[in-house]
Amino acid sequence: MTDETPAPETDRRSFSFASIAMAGGLAASYGTVGYIGFQFLKPQGGSKRAWMLVKPLKEFAVGSSLRFRTPAGATVNITRRADAGAVEDFKALSSVCPHLGCQVHWEQQKNRYFCPCHNGTFDADGVGTGGPPGDAGQSLGSFELRVERGLLYIEVPLETLAMCDPEGGPEGGIQEMGIQELSDDDARRGPGLDPCLDPSFDPRNGNGPGPELRRSDNGGRPA
Amino acid sequence: MSLRFKQLVIAVLGVMFLGSLVFVQYMEVLRKKHETAGRDAPVVVPDSSARCVDCHAQGNPGIVEQWEHSTHAHKGVGCVECHQANEGEADAFLHEGALIAAIVTPRDCGRCHQEVYDEFTRSHHARAGNILQSLDNFLAEVVEGKRDDTVDELEKFVFNPHGKTPGRGDFNMVNGEASAVLGCLQCHGSKVALEATNGGRLTLDDLQPDTTGKATNLAAIARIKKDENGKPKLHASTWPNTGIGRINLDGSRGSCSACHSRHDFSPRRARQPENCGKCHLGPDHPQKEIYEESKHGVAYRDLKDRMNLDGETWVLGQDYTAAPTCATCHMSGHSKNGGRITHDVGERISWTNRPPVSMPLDTDADRKVVTETDPVKRQALIADSWQDKRTRMQQVCANCHTGDYVNGFYKQYDDLVQLYNEKFAKPGQKIMAALKEQKLLTKRPFDESIEWTWFYLWHHEGRRARHGASMMAPDYTHWHGMYEVAERFYVHLIPQARELTHAARAAGNLAAGEAVDAVIDAILERPEHKGNIVEKRNH
Amino acid sequence: MTAIGKWFGERLPLDGDKLREMTNEPVPNHLKKWWFCLGGTPAYLFLVQIATGILLAFYYEASPTTAYESVRYITDDVAFGWYLRSLHKWGATLMVATVILHQMRIYFTGAYRKPREMNWMIGMCLLVCTLVVGFTGYCLVFEQLSFWGAKVGAEITDQVPVVGGFMKEMLLGGEGYNKNTLSRFFVLHAAVLPVVMILLLIVHITLIRLQGITEMKFENEKEDAPRFFNFFPDHMATEVIMGLVLMILLSVLATVLPATMGEVANPQATPEIIKPEWFFYVTFRWLKLFSITVAVLSMGLIVFLMFVWPFIDAWVRRRWPASEFSVWLGILAVLAILGLTVWEGAVAH
Repeated sequence: MTDETPAPETDRRSFSFASIAMAGGLAASYGTVGYIGFQFLKPQGGSKRAWMLVKPLKEFAVGSSLRFRTPAGATVNITRRADAGAVEDFKALSSVCPHLGCQVHWEQQKNRYFCPCHNGTFDADGVGTGGPPGDAGQSLGSFELRVERGLLYIEVPLETLAMCDPEGGPEGGIQEMGIQELSDDDARRGPGLDPCLDPSFDPRNGNGPGPELRRSDNGGRPA
Repeated sequence: MSLRFKQLVIAVLGVMFLGSLVFVQYMEVLRKKHETAGRDAPVVVPDSSARCVDCHAQGNPGIVEQWEHSTHAHKGVGCVECHQANEGEADAFLHEGALIAAIVTPRDCGRCHQEVYDEFTRSHHARAGNILQSLDNFLAEVVEGKRDDTVDELEKFVFNPHGKTPGRGDFNMVNGEASAVLGCLQCHGSKVALEATNGGRLTLDDLQPDTTGKATNLAAIARIKKDENGKPKLHASTWPNTGIGRINLDGSRGSCSACHSRHDFSPRRARQPENCGKCHLGPDHPQKEIYEESKHGVAYRDLKDRMNLDGETWVLGQDYTAAPTCATCHMSGHSKNGGRITHDVGERISWTNRPPVSMPLDTDADRKVVTETDPVKRQALIADSWQDKRTRMQQVCANCHTGDYVNGFYKQYDDLVQLYNEKFAKPGQKIMAALKEQKLLTKRPFDESIEWTWFYLWHHEGRRARHGASMMAPDYTHWHGMYEVAERFYVHLIPQARELTHAARAAGNLAAGEAVDAVIDAILERPEHKGNIVEKRNH
Repeated sequence: MTAIGKWFGERLPLDGDKLREMTNEPVPNHLKKWWFCLGGTPAYLFLVQIATGILLAFYYEASPTTAYESVRYITDDVAFGWYLRSLHKWGATLMVATVILHQMRIYFTGAYRKPREMNWMIGMCLLVCTLVVGFTGYCLVFEQLSFWGAKVGAEITDQVPVVGGFMKEMLLGGEGYNKNTLSRFFVLHAAVLPVVMILLLIVHITLIRLQGITEMKFENEKEDAPRFFNFFPDHMATEVIMGLVLMILLSVLATVLPATMGEVANPQATPEIIKPEWFFYVTFRWLKLFSITVAVLSMGLIVFLMFVWPFIDAWVRRRWPASEFSVWLGILAVLAILGLTVWEGAVAH
């Protein structure tokens, strides 16, 4: 800066400082309001997860598989493949085919998950091996498991329906989950479990028709 | 006001507004924290229990609502998970499509809580049901109630009221065991029985459950009385009962709901002294009152809101330090033992102050108190010594007290127990034994005054003194304890014993009278008794 | 830049200079005084109400079985729900207050006189709309006072001669409070009235722009002071400052006194003490002073007189040109309103 710096320039510079400060103050404060609005609108339950008990390890035979319905309605196939008594024995895979959302099931003889809709297959780790998912390199979604004091837990999303029970009851509402043992019969039944062929299939439930479906209509406990 | 000034004002106000929004953000964080601390977890009804919940929410809403506040409900553990029964269990019945039992035994809880089940099963708590032949039980059943051992099982406890109760024509025959049923057994635990077809009881002795809990005695099973729905009836003298040493039909011992009240199984409640106070109180074992008198109890009452009672974990020295409760010292995890909880309540207790004379708690492999006196044999029997137990307790103490302080306390405590044992308990025991030996007392307990006197001395006052000392309650140690022990000894026990010897001499039984008097004299000769009692010597 | 400007210029038939002239109205110098900017405050708060209201509507459910729970959900569960709901509530309170202050300023400075009678009447419409929006708003929470307030409101409507019964049925969607009532209130609160208010505001502001703001001279003003200053950016900056002050005020009120929830509505039990929002205290006290028909009719008459006041005032000034009648009447009315409000606020019944 030199001596001959003219006075008006100083004036202009401070003028621009004032307007920049103004713009900054306005942007920061109203921007935060916008952020609050965004947080308000962001789906609330999606990030809520909880650990649910599946069953004691000693009651879960190696090689067996069961179907677990989460409180949010998704179904998970849980299989036990080893006897180490640790979490590595187990694999929990979403039973929803990543291709078009049909229900996959475990085929013991072929050691694979099979989706009857378009003959998609997945290996024991849920990696697509054949059919459309195999071609597209899609895998079955997996769930976190935990073994604690001889009990198997699964972490599942909750997507709370707080308003389903306006008459009171504990906060968060009442949800339901289910555990279904899968016998070999179930596994072989294949097409019978195919939700795509069943007109009453409810994708919210993802579980095909059954007692669980009826129950889910009645999420709120009668007062 | 120039435009530039206005712009600066806007900038300043914008920053102030931002500040207020930061405060809003802070409040939101606080709210979120509060939310996750509270019980906002969703209630998850497993499909298996959906029908139970639907129906019982209307029939017995309390059960369902309590369950909704339990951790079970938040982790998806429903009704059937606990109440389900195996084929072959004596009290199982088919209810709305599920095979269930009304009583959930520790074996059932142990399906998931295996470690806790093992610890509890070997604990003194699980053996609390073994009072059936004790003095206390004799008092409740015979002296307070009506028991006739000469008649058959069905008649044994029948009490026939002598008068009529206006308005209650339905009183016919009454259970003479009522005081035991509602008193002793509600803490100690009943021997659960099914009603037999003849109205009698079928306990595990009759049903002979195998290791999986299934009844094996077909003859007994055939005698189980069932209602029109095939539901076996539990004998009303034994159920409802949540006594901690309940003897269950499946062979397991105890009741988890004694402390973990159904159906919310609240850890918060089990952490509080009031929970233990259901049983550990009163004239003969006032642990609850002793605790309240002690500094520990005073601090707890004051600082309850700093106890983190709702904490997911409750480790002394990590989650809280404000004060100890019963659970803190006897069961809970602490920072010095890696937070390991024990459900074996005796693991940290080094004296047993229950019997007339306190014993160091050396336990054998079966967790029974070693009574062997030969040092070598004794050492061989001990699996867990009193020193091991004391060390475990001292580790708890060390969370808040220095080593010298803790050792000093234990010296004071040991001294008092020894003083009581040697000055009053053993001499009293000796006098009572001499009277029995010389046949100056009948075999039957509680039919002579001196038997009540002696019972008061050790069972009530002596325990109060020792329990008071063990948990730092001065008034219970002295005025409710040793003072009354001394008074009972000098003013009641000795004169009553002398009365018996005088009576014996008067009746011509000189040898017996002299033998007992010699025992008493030898005791009173000792320096600690000298001059404490002036007797009229008329023999 | 110029290319983009050209691109838009060719497609939007707008003349930049004309636009500037249109928006950049010359503002009379007296508007540098703060109390002449009161009209902007309700307008700003109205924007706040629209923004927060739209957000709240994402979660609100207008049905008797779910309304209360959804408000509770907003308040307790949704991120920042408590804050936005509190902003909305306090925004409403401040909006009613500033509308009244604005109207008082207009009244006492005689700014409603020719040629601005029409704008006064539009302002009156806006006042009534604001009050009705406030009323329907607190009915939506479905707590005890919401329910009983709605009932009382419906009964008052019922007292209007000839059309009252019909109006009440239209309002409630039936003979009494029923399952359709709440959604009617919701549509009125969140759709019909806001749209009406937006239209009225457009006319209100257009008229101000066309007629110009009443010019005023103050005794201590220098003779050679400029009579006007620029709307943009000078007056705009004033309005922005006001907006920020309001936001800070709202934020502080929302955090210090957040909106709470009363007991859920119970049609079987009227609460012991029932009070409307403070801005209806006057009406509420008036209703207690007279028999209901008299009260309703007299209130209608008063509102009508306020509505046509510019014409009455003109007539009075023609007859007695020197009279200060309007000022004295205004003071009297303000005192009466204050008195009745304080009276109602101070007593339980």
